[in-house]
Amino acid sequence: MRRREFVRRGVVGLAAVAPGLPRLPPFGRAAPWLLVPMDDAQSDHLKAYGLAFRLLERGGRAEWFLNYRGGAFLLPADAATSRDAALAGVTAESLDDGRLAEIRGEIGGGNMDAVPLEKAPKVAVYAPPNAAPWDDAVTMALNYAGIKFEKIWDPEVAGQGLRHYDWLHLHHEDFTGQYSKFFLNYAGAPWLVEMVQQNRSMAKRLGFASVPAEKRAVAVAIEQYVERGGFLFAMCTATETLDLALAADGVDIAAVYADGSPMDPGATAAMRWDRALAFQDARLEMSPTMPVYSDIDGHQVNSPDRRQPLGSFTLFNFSAKIDPVATMLVQNHRQVIPDFYGLTTSFTRRRLKPSITVLAEEPGAPWVKYIHGERGQGTWTFLGGHDPEDPQHQIGDAPTDLSLHPHSPGYRLILNNVLFPAAKKKELKT
Amino acid sequence: MAPAPRTGVLLLLVLGSPVPAQGQHATVPRAFELERRGNYEAAVDAYRELLRRSPGDVSALLGLERVLLPLNRSAEILPDARAALASDPASPAAHGVALRAWAAADQPDSMRAVAERWARLVPGDEAPYREWGAAALAGRRREASLEAYRVGRQRLGRSDALAAEMAQLAIADGDYATAAREWVPAVRRLPGYRITAVATLGHAPAFKRAEILRILGAESDFVARRLESELRVKWGDPLGGLEALESGLDQSRGQGMDALRALVDQLRMLRTRDAMLAQGRALEMIAGRMPPVQASRVRLEAAQAYSAAGDRDAARRMLAGLADDSTAPSAVASGAAGALVTVLIGEGKLDEARRRLTDLGPQMTGEEQAQLTRSLVAAYIRQGELARADSALGRDSTIEGFALSGWIKLYRGDLEGAVQAFKDAGPYAGERADATRRTVLLALLQPIEADTLPALGAALLKLEQGDTIAAARELEAVAETLPVAKGGAEMRLLAGRLSEGRGDPELAERLYRAAASPEAPATAPAAELALAELMLKRQRTGEAVTQLEHLILTYPESALVPQARRTLDQARGAVPRT
Repeated sequence: MRRREFVRRGVVGLAAVAPGLPRLPPFGRAAPWLLVPMDDAQSDHLKAYGLAFRLLERGGRAEWFLNYRGGAFLLPADAATSRDAALAGVTAESLDDGRLAEIRGEIGGGNMDAVPLEKAPKVAVYAPPNAAPWDDAVTMALNYAGIKFEKIWDPEVAGQGLRHYDWLHLHHEDFTGQYSKFFLNYAGAPWLVEMVQQNRSMAKRLGFASVPAEKRAVAVAIEQYVERGGFLFAMCTATETLDLALAADGVDIAAVYADGSPMDPGATAAMRWDRALAFQDARLEMSPTMPVYSDIDGHQVNSPDRRQPLGSFTLFNFSAKIDPVATMLVQNHRQVIPDFYGLTTSFTRRRLKPSITVLAEEPGAPWVKYIHGERGQGTWTFLGGHDPEDPQHQIGDAPTDLSLHPHSPGYRLILNNVLFPAAKKKELKT
Repeated sequence: MAPAPRTGVLLLLVLGSPVPAQGQHATVPRAFELERRGNYEAAVDAYRELLRRSPGDVSALLGLERVLLPLNRSAEILPDARAALASDPASPAAHGVALRAWAAADQPDSMRAVAERWARLVPGDEAPYREWGAAALAGRRREASLEAYRVGRQRLGRSDALAAEMAQLAIADGDYATAAREWVPAVRRLPGYRITAVATLGHAPAFKRAEILRILGAESDFVARRLESELRVKWGDPLGGLEALESGLDQSRGQGMDALRALVDQLRMLRTRDAMLAQGRALEMIAGRMPPVQASRVRLEAAQAYSAAGDRDAARRMLAGLADDSTAPSAVASGAAGALVTVLIGEGKLDEARRRLTDLGPQMTGEEQAQLTRSLVAAYIRQGELARADSALGRDSTIEGFALSGWIKLYRGDLEGAVQAFKDAGPYAGERADATRRTVLLALLQPIEADTLPALGAALLKLEQGDTIAAARELEAVAETLPVAKGGAEMRLLAGRLSEGRGDPELAERLYRAAASPEAPATAPAAELALAELMLKRQRTGEAVTQLEHLILTYPESALVPQARRTLDQARGAVPRT
């Protein structure tokens, strides 16, 4: 499905308010509506996304009121939805048609819009089979919100399996095939031994000479998925390494332990940045012992002498009617969010391609946090950092329990991305 | 002597050139002020003006270096650094600046040349190599930094030269084994490094720790033993830490006491039984190395640590003679008397404890005596000696006294009296856990209409004494005599919890189901939650989910709904089980 067409700039999103444009049919005369506020009145922001998602799964339809009360949802007050809201502990306010008309008027008069949500996207999470369910912020968010997803890995991606999914998430996979560059520093650690063994046997099974070669092929397949119209959301080191792998077309950027040959000393100059999605002209880290890939990441958490302290990042305001996609991706009840580390925490401004959209930045800092762009028929969104509620996450840390963070603004950004493909394609106003 | 003529020369210089001196004094604060305001461009000019007049002025040179950095023009300081070196060829600061400037200019050969020239001026000094390595590291050249330290070590001919720098570099690489090998000689040479060594090695991931301990264990001196000891304590093995330190005390050359005291300080931060036991032993060792009069206080501390760890024999051994020793300082004698009574209470020798308390009471403060009396009363209550408890408590009108009185009344079956006493005690008597326990009891008693119920008092006393089987049986029997909404459901819920706790899930489930009656809406949500949790423990996830959904939808106003939602999340795998 070419859902990205929905987002073309120039679309005037007045569907919900302009009398001449189609509206959602009423969900039923007897039952009023449920307004799920997403401002501070909401008791569980994260589960609210699951509530909307499950309604779509049941074949229902909803609306997303962009910039209205933190990005509220309008749902039918049917028995299933009311029961689901009560069980999930999601605040939902009863709404009659009169009040709804007032709200639509308010939306029509401000920097707001009502976006119909009509289909639950099929969600895939790229993760190795033995990945701990609690080590990936997106998996945690989906589980907590109650959004169904399937886990896929290299065999599915290499075997055209991505065609079955609307939305793909990548977390902290190292697409350069260097095991997050932990190979030397964590030599002997059981989890690393398992990771190496698993990746090597998969590369062999798929007929590649090395793990870096196989991971690059996977990266290319993911890029083609986006090109064909898929929605890609990546966090942490998957953002940086995906682009590095794509740009390393014919260039050896992997350390000797990964592919048997040392990194090309002239790799930085030889990179093909036109192949990458988001970044350009990055300087590669040549040391195999340093768990850092390049100067794309602004924070360099694993380099003690380069590490930058965490600050806060600010979400940009977009015009809901003119730029609904960017608006959807930044719906939140907080504008300023505390930053959090990851193997890739942020994206240096000078390494960004000029065509991308910056969704959030740290004002005054030489890096941004959250970016979005298009490739072919699809779109991609990158969010730096590992876990919004565990800012200094370390290997082996206790898993984050999202029931203790039901209002997490950082996790809301992730869930905005999951619902974004559910938005209905709007017709161009000609 | 030299000082007088030299003073005279300086005075002449000052008097002979008043204008430049005045100008120089005016420029330094101006440059600092410009720097402080973030006007780096102007500060560069101000510092340069100063250096033109006095090329060897270290403050100005370092100031210039500071302001060039944010302008990304660090390499521009080279001419100034050269002039400073020409003015004072041995200046460590100027050499450091020159090294950092060459690093900024990405000129490793020049860095090396500067370091080697400086090293020739100060043979045997580590500083040139240290600065060289640090400058390389600041320029993100980790390999060059390592090379600088290696060259330095080779030229200085000492295997322990620059060991701390090598260790820190290894830590940055995550190479904890090398870091451990380097920290030992570094600490040997400069004991002050010990704290940094322990702090940095302490962050090693669990799977690297055995190797670090093996490396330290291979070293035979006290430095290695002390590092090993502190790391073991940091990693949760306080007794192993004490053992490591003890094995090195013979070679400690007078550092043993310091090391033992530092270990005790480290152990005081931990509240585990092993940590308290290790603390007691370390204090005993310290006491053994002190004159008897000073040792008495430390022995008392050791006794208290042993007592807290539950090692009553060791506590009694430490206290032997202390409590009755008329020569011991009064504070020590008082503390010892208190500790001895605490030990006796812990051993259940209540009559002896009461006798000692009567005898030694005059040595204690009133508050200490009152506190020990309450401990004695609590112990009598636990033994079921309610009359003795009442007699020992006397007319204690403190809130702690009311709380104890409430328990005595409760176990006698005087529910009205117990409720009143608990209310009088309020929320601040005793520890927070005690207050919570009283609140739970008040909630249990609240729906019961009878003023006295000796059978319930007896059942709760059995519970206090740890006989949960009898307590559960008797509580269920009491429940049969009460209406469901007037205490019957509460009693069954409590009996169910006790049955579950002692491993009888079938009985627990029957009791929970009986308690989850719609006739008792105040108790039913808690009973349903307990039932769901029991089902989850028994892998009956589907039934648990249904039960939790029923709870949430039937009793949406219950205070237990958030907990039920969390349990539901756990049952569905939406959040990790904790």
